[in-house]
Amino acid sequence: MKLKSSYDFYLILATTVVLFAISLISIYGMFYFKFAQIHQMDPSLKIMYMNRMNEVVAPFIICLILLLGICVPKRLLPTVWLNRITLILLACVVPIGFLYGVKAGLFFMLAASLALQTIVFLMALAGSKSLYFHKKGYWVRLGSSLIHLGLIIFILDLFFYANKTLHLVLFWVTTGASILGMVFCFYAESVVNLVTGRKTVSDENIT
Amino acid sequence: MHRELQNMLPITIFSQGGNIVMTILLISVILIALSALLNLYSPRPLYQQASTTILVTINFLFIAGFLWICWFHWQIYLKMPLELPENLIAWINRQLEVINRSSDYGMELYNAASPPRYKIPFWIENEKYYFWFMCYGIMALLVHFRLQSHRFRAMLHLFLALQVAILYFWVDPFSSPLPQFLGEIAPWYTPGQSMAAKAAGFMRLYPKMVFYYNAEYMWFHPPLLFISYGAITIIFITSVFMLLKRDLLIEKIGYVYAKLGFFMLTLGMLLGYPWALKAWGPNWWWDPKICSSLMMWAVFSTYLHTRLYANKKSMWKFTALLGIICFLAMIFTFLTSFYFPGEHTFQ
Repeated sequence: MKLKSSYDFYLILATTVVLFAISLISIYGMFYFKFAQIHQMDPSLKIMYMNRMNEVVAPFIICLILLLGICVPKRLLPTVWLNRITLILLACVVPIGFLYGVKAGLFFMLAASLALQTIVFLMALAGSKSLYFHKKGYWVRLGSSLIHLGLIIFILDLFFYANKTLHLVLFWVTTGASILGMVFCFYAESVVNLVTGRKTVSDENIT
Repeated sequence: MHRELQNMLPITIFSQGGNIVMTILLISVILIALSALLNLYSPRPLYQQASTTILVTINFLFIAGFLWICWFHWQIYLKMPLELPENLIAWINRQLEVINRSSDYGMELYNAASPPRYKIPFWIENEKYYFWFMCYGIMALLVHFRLQSHRFRAMLHLFLALQVAILYFWVDPFSSPLPQFLGEIAPWYTPGQSMAAKAAGFMRLYPKMVFYYNAEYMWFHPPLLFISYGAITIIFITSVFMLLKRDLLIEKIGYVYAKLGFFMLTLGMLLGYPWALKAWGPNWWWDPKICSSLMMWAVFSTYLHTRLYANKKSMWKFTALLGIICFLAMIFTFLTSFYFPGEHTFQ
């Protein structure tokens, strides 16, 4: 259990570093936008700027997706299996990336994460005790699964940007999952009280 | 201010009523700031009963002023329809049909029986500061009742005083109400305009009315963000105290507002997405405000993740530091609209 906990801890630290890097790129983007006067440029030049920024941030988004891909099975598997599954996933992503392009590799990773997260969500919904969560409680676990499911669908949805209807439908699914997830996760106690009609007080109700 | 607008809208009454509210607010926060300064340097609590009473009064005044703003907006809705001369209607509707054919999101055709009216939200121009600071005021009151620490309360009160001072001296929504909106709409009500000027005026005002002032997202996207800004200010104060001492209750209160703030921020940002697609099309990604908002969300998200391990010795101060960075990121994100050009700019 200690191993698992430190695994979680290092994953969180890695996520922190990637998010920090994305923050720095965002700040760079802001200043570049201002000093290069992008807002006064022709739409085609604006799109060039957007594409360039996408390229700059892409490696970090890839890292984030990979971390997400590693984070998801940790709910399902013990540490030994977690390492194996992570290696299997990476072993699939790398050749797919080489053969069909980075986009296809990432799409595979997200699709695999989506499949695994859906299993986590269904198990959390069924109240399974075999899931590994940092915090206890049915609603907290269900909420956490929903938030992560929403995040995966949100990133996956970016692949469908050109298909407006599907893109927007998936966007609203993401929004719904995230909202419900946050309500369950952050306000588990109130949800329990609402569902059971009793007043319960726990020491903490967080993910 | 244009004479026509002065005649149409109760601007003077609105300003006079608002000025009374603002003056009493200022006096109240001067009193509470004095009490806060004394408490900050005193080893024991001072004037706690009085400061509670003043804080309740401040919140009451904030809400009264907000209702006053709502009433003014209702007057705009009632008294300022965009009415077209009869002989222009067919021409305008033909133009709107042409625009609608080449756009994913159309505008409703003009209906003489029910001309378009402004449904202005209560958080545009200077009113957004009012709403933001009012949200903070309510949160400060709730935290004040939950925590007995007189120094912590003093910090809450000082922040509130600072916000009301900013409101009174720089961004008073009552002294000159909605200057940008009224400046935009004033030429429409100038008497003796030609048909061409009237048509051009309508085609200039109507799209902004549909996609900005009357946009349904306007009722969710900005207020959710301002509520989160209020919560982030509370997180900042708790984080500063976490750096000074290891108090679990203060940390817990910070987390209560972190949950609220993150919930509102995420929801607000998500609801901005379909609105941006509708109003701006595809060319808005990597806009400075979007960049800074993503940065703020990333920092906030990091704070919530590290907070899981806040009880570890090394993580306590790191979490507190992230809470402070989160607040600085919020200020930076807000100021982005002033200093960086783009779709969200206030310039």
